[in-house]
Amino acid sequence: MAAGLRTVILLSFVLAVGFLLIILSCALWQNWLPLLVALTFVLAPLPNALFAHCGSDELSSNYEGSAPLDLGRFITSMFVVTGFALPIVLAHSNVIDPKACVMSIAGGGLVYATILAYSAAFSQEESDYD
Amino acid sequence: MSLPRSNYDPRRVCLNPFPNFDLGKHRRTVGVYLAGALFALANWTFLDAAILSAHANAPWGDPPISDPPVHVSFVDWIPGICSLLGYIVINLIDKDRIRGDEGFGDSRAVWRARLFLFIGFAFMAGGLAGSVTVLVLKYILNGYPEQFTYYGYANVSQSVALMLSAIVLWIAQSTSSEYEYNLTL
Repeated sequence: MAAGLRTVILLSFVLAVGFLLIILSCALWQNWLPLLVALTFVLAPLPNALFAHCGSDELSSNYEGSAPLDLGRFITSMFVVTGFALPIVLAHSNVIDPKACVMSIAGGGLVYATILAYSAAFSQEESDYD
Repeated sequence: MSLPRSNYDPRRVCLNPFPNFDLGKHRRTVGVYLAGALFALANWTFLDAAILSAHANAPWGDPPISDPPVHVSFVDWIPGICSLLGYIVINLIDKDRIRGDEGFGDSRAVWRARLFLFIGFAFMAGGLAGSVTVLVLKYILNGYPEQFTYYGYANVSQSVALMLSAIVLWIAQSTSSEYEYNLTL
């Protein structure tokens, strides 16, 4: 259990650093548009999590994949690309500073990587029979 | 008819075969993710041009132009909307209906499904052609500087990426678990 605890502490540190980068990228230039990046990356795993329960009902053994699962993956991937594209677009049209763009992308990447790593680390233990 | 194994196939021309990506059971997942990413990328490419035009700043450090000669107007939005409509129509069709297996529904359903598929692809191709038309007629023929022809190129790449996304999604969803590619329309 010690390893799990250490993982949690490490991931929370990374999450805090990610949010720190995003908030700094907003606050240093007095322009709070990059905060949308944080919102996007937090919302990104939500469709996958919502639609994950629609697919595997009635013990379907074949890996055929259902339409709701695909829709969830599609929307998730759209959110991720949006999170990366939004600061680039804003920086391209000089709405935000290019340095703010880089900082918010790095912060958003850290936040999303934390969410991914958390779900990967702790969903394995529950469903070992897979 | 038994073919020799591809390792010893004497009819082979190229020494190095195309690397077969054995994604296995994750092929469908990867394809769907890729299609979603391409879809978002397409729309953001065009939105980038639209936002850039709305702010009308010189993007490469030049002093801001007081009155830019051209803007992204509604004409530029039409090809993207056509492509998007085609995308929706193509993905609403039941894939099994197209294949037209015997004993699966009546033949008129197959005919109708193929008609809808044709309409969807016509919308997408129309969007692509329309974006090229806008690029040529509105931007290139008027001789605008590169800063403004970017709007047209973004429009074309939006349509191309939407089409690629539809193709990737179609292939990903029509591969079944029995490892057979049937992209037969």
